[in-house]
Amino acid sequence: MAYVATRGGERAIEQSQRLFRAEMGAITPERVAEIRSAMPYLIDRVMGEASLYDEDLAALALAQTGGELYEAILLLRAWRTTQPRLTVADPVTQDSLFTHRRISAAFKDIPGGQVLGPTLDYAHRILATDVLSGQTYHPDPVDPAPQPSPARQPSVAAWQAENGLLAKSLPDATTGNDIPDITREPLLFPAKRAHTLQSLARAETGGVLALGYAAQRGYGQAHPTVNELRLAEADVVVQHPRGTRFSAGRVKVSQAEVVSKQGSELGLGFAATLGWNEVKVIAAATLDLNAAGAPKGSATEEEFFLYHTEGVESSGFCIHFKLPHYVTFQSSLDAMRDAKAKRAAKDKQPEPAE
Amino acid sequence: MSLKSLTRDWEPMSYGFLDGSAKREIRRKMLKAIAVPGCQMPYASREVPMARGWGTGGLQISCTLINPAMRIKVIDQGADDSVNAASIRSFLARVSGAPTTMDTLQADLIQSRHRIPEEMLRADQILVLQVPNPEPLRSVQPNMSIARQMHADADYGRMWLQLYEQIVRSGRVMQGASYPSLVNGRYLMTPSPIPRWDVPKLHMAQHLTILSAGREKRLYAVPPFTRVEPLVFDDVPYRVEDHGHLTCQRSGAKGYFMNEIPQAGGTSTFEVSDSELGVKTIRMAEGESARIGQTWYKDGELVQ
Repeated sequence: MAYVATRGGERAIEQSQRLFRAEMGAITPERVAEIRSAMPYLIDRVMGEASLYDEDLAALALAQTGGELYEAILLLRAWRTTQPRLTVADPVTQDSLFTHRRISAAFKDIPGGQVLGPTLDYAHRILATDVLSGQTYHPDPVDPAPQPSPARQPSVAAWQAENGLLAKSLPDATTGNDIPDITREPLLFPAKRAHTLQSLARAETGGVLALGYAAQRGYGQAHPTVNELRLAEADVVVQHPRGTRFSAGRVKVSQAEVVSKQGSELGLGFAATLGWNEVKVIAAATLDLNAAGAPKGSATEEEFFLYHTEGVESSGFCIHFKLPHYVTFQSSLDAMRDAKAKRAAKDKQPEPAE
Repeated sequence: MSLKSLTRDWEPMSYGFLDGSAKREIRRKMLKAIAVPGCQMPYASREVPMARGWGTGGLQISCTLINPAMRIKVIDQGADDSVNAASIRSFLARVSGAPTTMDTLQADLIQSRHRIPEEMLRADQILVLQVPNPEPLRSVQPNMSIARQMHADADYGRMWLQLYEQIVRSGRVMQGASYPSLVNGRYLMTPSPIPRWDVPKLHMAQHLTILSAGREKRLYAVPPFTRVEPLVFDDVPYRVEDHGHLTCQRSGAKGYFMNEIPQAGGTSTFEVSDSELGVKTIRMAEGESARIGQTWYKDGELVQ
């Protein structure tokens, strides 16, 4: 039974998983809790790309995959897609956000004020190597400001619209389950506005950055000015079966507005995502800003960037090339060898006499 | 009467993994795809617990069609024991309780990557092909929305031109696997990267074939008794791989699609690609009971 000896597929894959997991050891509730509290920005990035807001599940996914981000996000997406949809929350408006950080590069000061909030932007990037020699690093305590900044602020684009610098965005009356949902419908082009914003919200940060950066460097038509970047918490307002509307809790969100001069008006690009992820929303808003009228097949065309920043799809396809392809390869070899033989036979034939 | 008597107990996972709404969408899209043979139907394509590009499209079809009485076979590159085939098979069995088999004759549902078994499929069998790229026009038009318009217009001129250029440059059509084929005289499809050897098996076949690309979110179908014609010029006949004369060095099976195994010293040996056919051939040679069904090819020639 020559063939049977080679049939080790199931055992092999079982053992290969054990090897992978052996390196990480036991996954304890304490480990998951530690990941959750020590790495909020990693948790945020994972929740945004998974489009699932649950810090515990995100920490568990990171623990289970040893920090392999694409694997962690796939775990969460596969879990998310099986969950029942209990209700659809009310839309979140910009001026209802509980704002932690909100800055504008367009104006020195803005209505509501510049709020620096938590950031490493002006930190000197020096490793705290003392920790490795046994000294615990204790962050300095924060001195509260004498006047707290207002918790809720209008958007900068709203002020620009009032002043005729920007076309006022039209309100969309679609609510509840009528809102197009990228997780339940295929993405088709030209894409519905909801699909575009949802795709950017769950796009892979690195992918959005690469294409957004290309647009910022000059492969796009519009140079962005950050109108507003905001890190905030949004209330999840849902309806109780008895009819009361109430906030079921808050989720961290980031949003960016970028603008550029388009004729006598400003063009506006927008992106928002779950969790705090500044790079992603600035890059995504840049792509959104450049999408209108972008040439087919260019990196700022909607079809191009939405397809190629889908992290679960792109990473899965990339690693699928590890799978055996020997049937297709054999088929190509057959055509190549035959073409080569034909050419050799042709070369051997003497040129016909004139 | 209590609520409990009217409902089922909570379960962590739906039968067949996908929830009811996902299955309903896929059933509807499959019916549409059968009604318009070869036409790509967009579907939501939910995430499944496997990476995109690893058979998630085929898996969603299998998860939708599966029931506990269905016997499933899963192959990758013709082999049942290939690691990813083993993974998909164990997942399907785990979420459905359906029995599995390696014997093509015993299978009700066959999920396959890149091959159609050598034994002829029957009307009561369904073949699900995993598709990496559902768009036959991709090589001449990478933009999906333009390609969609070209299908609507049956605008396949650029595809013909590409084949013509290959003949001019290389003396023959250089397309290896996934040979572009016209379905029911209307829609051009890529038959997934099955070798050219397997494309005639789809033509006027008794069985239903569903082709599904999970990552690209498209599914399409070849219903039973439907024409599947490779694009060829009248004076340049379609040619399958030149494997008809090869013999499997392990089983002695002859006249089927083979895997080439390079040997030290620059030579090659061959093994039959349909691994279970090889196993059955060995069993029969050793006097054990095994049955090989009718095959599409006999002595390396397609049975007309």
